[in-house]
Amino acid sequence: MASDGSNPQGRVLSGVHFMLGNYATAEGALAGGCDFFAGYPITPANEISERMSHRLPEVGGTFIQGEDELFSIYAVTGASLAGAKAMTATASAGFNHFQEGIGYAVAVEAPCVIVDVQRCRGENFATQADVMQMRWGTDGDYEIIVLAPSSIQELFDYTARAFNLAEEYRTPVIVMSETTISLMRERLDVPSADEIAVVNRRYTDLSPGEYKPFAAPEYGVPDFAPLGKGYNTIYSINPHDEEGSIDWDPDVYERMYDRLTGKIAKHRDVICQPRSYAVDDADIVLIAYGSEVRPALDAVEMAREDGIAAGLLKLDAVWPVPEEQIAAAMSKAKAVIAVEMNIGKYANEIERISAGRVPVHRCTKNRGIIHSPEEIYRSIKEVWK
Amino acid sequence: MKPLKIRFCGFGGQGIILSAITLGTALVTKKGYYAVQTQSYGSEARGGQCQAELIVADEEIKSPSSDEKDILVAMSQSALDRYIGDLKKGGILIIDSALVTEIPDVDAEIIQVPATETAVALGNRIAANMVLLGFVQQATGIISKDDLLSAVEDLVKPQFMDLNTRAIEAGIELAADVSLEVTV
Repeated sequence: MASDGSNPQGRVLSGVHFMLGNYATAEGALAGGCDFFAGYPITPANEISERMSHRLPEVGGTFIQGEDELFSIYAVTGASLAGAKAMTATASAGFNHFQEGIGYAVAVEAPCVIVDVQRCRGENFATQADVMQMRWGTDGDYEIIVLAPSSIQELFDYTARAFNLAEEYRTPVIVMSETTISLMRERLDVPSADEIAVVNRRYTDLSPGEYKPFAAPEYGVPDFAPLGKGYNTIYSINPHDEEGSIDWDPDVYERMYDRLTGKIAKHRDVICQPRSYAVDDADIVLIAYGSEVRPALDAVEMAREDGIAAGLLKLDAVWPVPEEQIAAAMSKAKAVIAVEMNIGKYANEIERISAGRVPVHRCTKNRGIIHSPEEIYRSIKEVWK
Repeated sequence: MKPLKIRFCGFGGQGIILSAITLGTALVTKKGYYAVQTQSYGSEARGGQCQAELIVADEEIKSPSSDEKDILVAMSQSALDRYIGDLKKGGILIIDSALVTEIPDVDAEIIQVPATETAVALGNRIAANMVLLGFVQQATGIISKDDLLSAVEDLVKPQFMDLNTRAIEAGIELAADVSLEVTV
């Protein structure tokens, strides 16, 4: 639906589709209320821009092809602060250039959605190598939400949800796409518009005289003021107090960053909704995210058929880290295997949570190709020995 | 049920990827199956090697890649030579007889289809992929002719509908006496 709650004809393409992943990302954005997109070309993300360039005007939205990535990220941030539900999309090498703008969007608490279709080998090859860049790429202390879809259906669902999370927590939300799923076509079931929950911008009830732009209720997220109604807000990356006044006082700085990081860290059990497959009685628990979930699920089935009690924890949000859920999933296991399409990065987080209680093995592949089920099953058998 | 795995291969410009998308669209949006389609191709606009893979099942498909294909449709010699190793033993090999002349000695049901010749006779060699799709439709019965045509209509520009329809019908005719055992 649109951010005003209406559903202009054609915004939600309800029905069964056989759709390209990048198109499903664009359609998920529209279903989540996106009405502004700015982007700069790069494969394998181009079909997102291409789809948005004709779909957004159809539903009354705005599409801008930026002159580069910096333009795109700042255009999205500006549009967001003006009230739009805004998105941009790029691929790994372009995502590097977003980092400065992501830092600004975090500091001024601009809700927006950023899609990174990860690629490697300078081409359209599969990888999950940006998993750390998404979390730690910009300067300063911050928390961020990163969702990792594994299918065309999840590209749609998670992108729509990304808009809701962005509004709820006033933060950039990153959709961690991959070459594998972005350039794949698959069945997509789009529900009717009224079945899709949409969180809209929350505006203050206070008058301009009473309103403090960065004063937040207990859960840590301040209300916006409507633009052009007499409210004045300075959106500065510099340390600012509740009034929005720039202030380098260490107390102000500490208070601001406690709230910025706390509003996400404190809600990680709501933000993260990992799914367990056959984990309860599993001796070996695989942990995977994104497209790697798919061969991992096949490998778990192969192991079960051979009498090995394997299970899988599928992460939907990789950041913030679902600490409690990961700890619970490994609590009864004899071993954990971190499955990843990179040199082994998120495995460090899993090791940190394990803290030596359960051995954490790594099943990594960094060749621009997704794991086959057989390769992951080989890892399971090695650990089982 | 085991997923059905089909690979179309040839060179860029032959409509290899469109073949896989068309069949996938028909199976998913007309028949309600699940399908995954992936592809790889050279950066050349035309002429580079190209392949598209389609996995079809009656439930959600997990791994998007598969090693052994049930059916290989080859529209060039070089693509056939490259991908023949991925055809499962006893699988089905469908080749465009004008473009693949050296037929490998493999354990497979090999069917030669004069797809390009037929398309040329219809007035445009570019429709050879649709001749092959018509052939696959009739020979395997995994989709009905109406559903296939309806998917083509969803995907291609109206001005090409007439040529594509005639090409599919010609392919169906070529498969009149062919029956391949394929289940989804």
